[in-house]
Amino acid sequence: MSAVLELDDVAIQFGGVQAVGGVSLAVEAGEFVGLIGPNGAGKTTLIRIIAGLLRPDRGRVMLAGADVTSDPTATRVRRGLALTHQIVRPFREMTVLDNVVLAAGVEHTSSPLRALLSIGRRRESERAAEILASVGLAGTERKLAGSLPLGQLKRLELARGLAIDPKVILLDEPLAGLNHTEASKQAETIADVHRRGLTVVLVEHNLEEVMRNCRRLVVLNNGQVIGDGEPRAVMADPVVHDAYVGGGMVSHAES
Amino acid sequence: MYYIDLAVTGVSFGCMYAIMAVGLTLVYGLLRILHIAHAAVFALGAYVTVLVANASGSILGGLIAAIVITPLFGMAIYRLLYEPLLKYRPDVPMVASVGLLVLMQDAFRVLFGEQGVTFRQNSLSFTTFDIAGVNISAVQIAIIVTTVVVFLGLHLFTTYTRIGVGWRATVSRPQIATSFGIDPIKVRYLNFAIGSALAAVAGGLVALLNNLVDPGIGFVVSYKALAIIVLGGLGSVQGTLVASLVLGLVEAYGTIFIGAWLDRDAIAFLALILLLMIRPQGFTGVRTA
Amino acid sequence: MSAYGISLVSIAGINVILAVSLNIISGFCGQISLGHAAFFGAGAYAAALTMIATANVPLALLAALIMGCALGIIVGFASLRVRSDFLAVTTIGVNFLFVGFVRKQGWLGGEMGISGIPATGFGATGNAIMIVALACMTIAFSLYMSRSWMGFAFRAVGEDESAAATLGINARAYKLAAFGIGTALAGLAGALYTFFTQFITVDSFDFVFSVMLLAMVVIGGVGSTWGVAVAAVGLTLLPEAIRFVNDYRLLVFGGMLVLVIRLAPGGLAALTRNLFARGKRV
Repeated sequence: MSAVLELDDVAIQFGGVQAVGGVSLAVEAGEFVGLIGPNGAGKTTLIRIIAGLLRPDRGRVMLAGADVTSDPTATRVRRGLALTHQIVRPFREMTVLDNVVLAAGVEHTSSPLRALLSIGRRRESERAAEILASVGLAGTERKLAGSLPLGQLKRLELARGLAIDPKVILLDEPLAGLNHTEASKQAETIADVHRRGLTVVLVEHNLEEVMRNCRRLVVLNNGQVIGDGEPRAVMADPVVHDAYVGGGMVSHAES
Repeated sequence: MYYIDLAVTGVSFGCMYAIMAVGLTLVYGLLRILHIAHAAVFALGAYVTVLVANASGSILGGLIAAIVITPLFGMAIYRLLYEPLLKYRPDVPMVASVGLLVLMQDAFRVLFGEQGVTFRQNSLSFTTFDIAGVNISAVQIAIIVTTVVVFLGLHLFTTYTRIGVGWRATVSRPQIATSFGIDPIKVRYLNFAIGSALAAVAGGLVALLNNLVDPGIGFVVSYKALAIIVLGGLGSVQGTLVASLVLGLVEAYGTIFIGAWLDRDAIAFLALILLLMIRPQGFTGVRTA
Repeated sequence: MSAYGISLVSIAGINVILAVSLNIISGFCGQISLGHAAFFGAGAYAAALTMIATANVPLALLAALIMGCALGIIVGFASLRVRSDFLAVTTIGVNFLFVGFVRKQGWLGGEMGISGIPATGFGATGNAIMIVALACMTIAFSLYMSRSWMGFAFRAVGEDESAAATLGINARAYKLAAFGIGTALAGLAGALYTFFTQFITVDSFDFVFSVMLLAMVVIGGVGSTWGVAVAAVGLTLLPEAIRFVNDYRLLVFGGMLVLVIRLAPGGLAALTRNLFARGKRV
């Protein structure tokens, strides 16, 4: 099994509503998967299940073959799942560099005891500086994270995700809130990250960018997968078409 | 009839807690701040009641003076202490509030003496009645009647007057204040004013009950009030009333059973801690963690 | 040094240990604790009973440390369930529970406290030296912790637990660790206090003292070991140096707490940092 991330018949219900109903999905190493769907399709819920913020009523979440369904977020991260938030959460009181150094030190912080006995940061600092440069944040290291504008904060989120040296990175709307130029740059950085060999799962509303870079598109609606495959083919599927009634999304994708 | 006497005691204490705690829950509901200094407002109300009563010869005069003065104090606390700290995480204004309480309690000690002040002429505290075999004092009757009036009044105010309706709406959902055409800042002041006036009433009643106001009067009651508002569901006036009465009764009856190994005042905290462990959101509140 | 001077040094040393250990919980890890006096008291009582039973100093120190730590971890579990200001309320409750419980227990001396505790045998000077040594070790440990990855992780947990989780940091474990370590040290301070006074009453470990300890942390500068240590020493000596402060102790402490939060939230540490920063520009 080379699946880096696998969902096996995952389902969850909230007060009578089936938010996610039996989703099965396997992401292989090196893939670039886009997860899309109209509002209320269950994307956010699914992300939260993968991230460990929600426990599904049934089904399993597996990371590189290991069952992590009952593991908390921090454990999944240590096993190689990197997460970025839709609403960014940097450590505002720390410097940009420190934000990434802490992520790079994921081995040291695996347990309080281990953390207490570890004191050197040289290696992690160097690595953090490299990663910051690779996402276009060179020169901001000494600034307080709280002082950065949104575009840079989104890149910091990405940098932190990369720093833990993950097997797969899950990006939740990394382009939301960015203007056209910023979004293009960010999308390019993500594509670059993928080219260097990282498995990427991207949740995004901005279909234009998604279509451009993803090799595989998974469409969710009403908590079920209604399309999974090559982007053009999936978008041409009438079932998917109907899900996006209102047209705006589809015409955007067709251009 | 002993058990009924206990019930009377429990209910009257519960009523006092309720009047005092309402102000606390209102502030929390609106600003998400634990206004521990509310105890200082309560203590001020008690002191003013006694001092003015002694000066004017009228207990009622003392209560009225307290009801007029404490809202000013409460609103000042909001303006000078909390408003500038709203931008920080909630523990910051809370710790400042604790600091203010400690400061005020000591100020009362310095100004009015360690022994406190008592009413010069007070027949009320010592009048008791025997109704159908049950022992009940005039003050206890006053407390219960006042509580009914207060809560009924609050209910009518927030249901039938324009200001009241807007206030209640704002307390439960601060964002929609403007659609009611109400200035959210004015609502905050109103909130503190009413809560403080109520604390003054509670303070005056406690002064009558004990015939004494000493510097420590605020401490224990305030922490119990904290326990109460969490147990009752933060921001919920009915919840506060229910939790207060329950606590009053549990304390009255509980001392029989656990009085041997736990102080009466600690019961409230035991209840609070147990509840928070099982249900971090209190009886009726929304989960905050 | 006079007996008075030795007492002063002893009390200051104990307060330093208390303030620095509270800083680990509330400063480094951001878990506001208004119950630190209870752990101090638990350690004091544990040491008192051990001394009466065995007159063995190392054993008393150990018992105090373990007692403080155990109680702290229990309270630490509370911090996992509730949000920061509620945690503070819970810690206030711990104070009242501790005092309320001890007051009723005959074997703990009840309202009268425990008297006639055997001396350590080191004499007043010896005790003072032990206190100062332990205070220095506590400061050193705190400084080390701050620079270690644990300190780093604590800061993340204190600021944003969810974000910390995405960096692989298990917030629960760290919060428990902060409580356990901080309260163990408070318990240790309790033992030292018992050795010093040889007579303890539960009133010394009340909520007001917890507030004073937090005031030391806030005034010194939340998160700064040196700031907090200096504040602890300063606030211990201040009432001795200025009669006014001694008579109106709570007034002054409460007032300082309020003023610092309102006007200089970073405390002494931030003020001195600014001072140095400004100096460099010349």
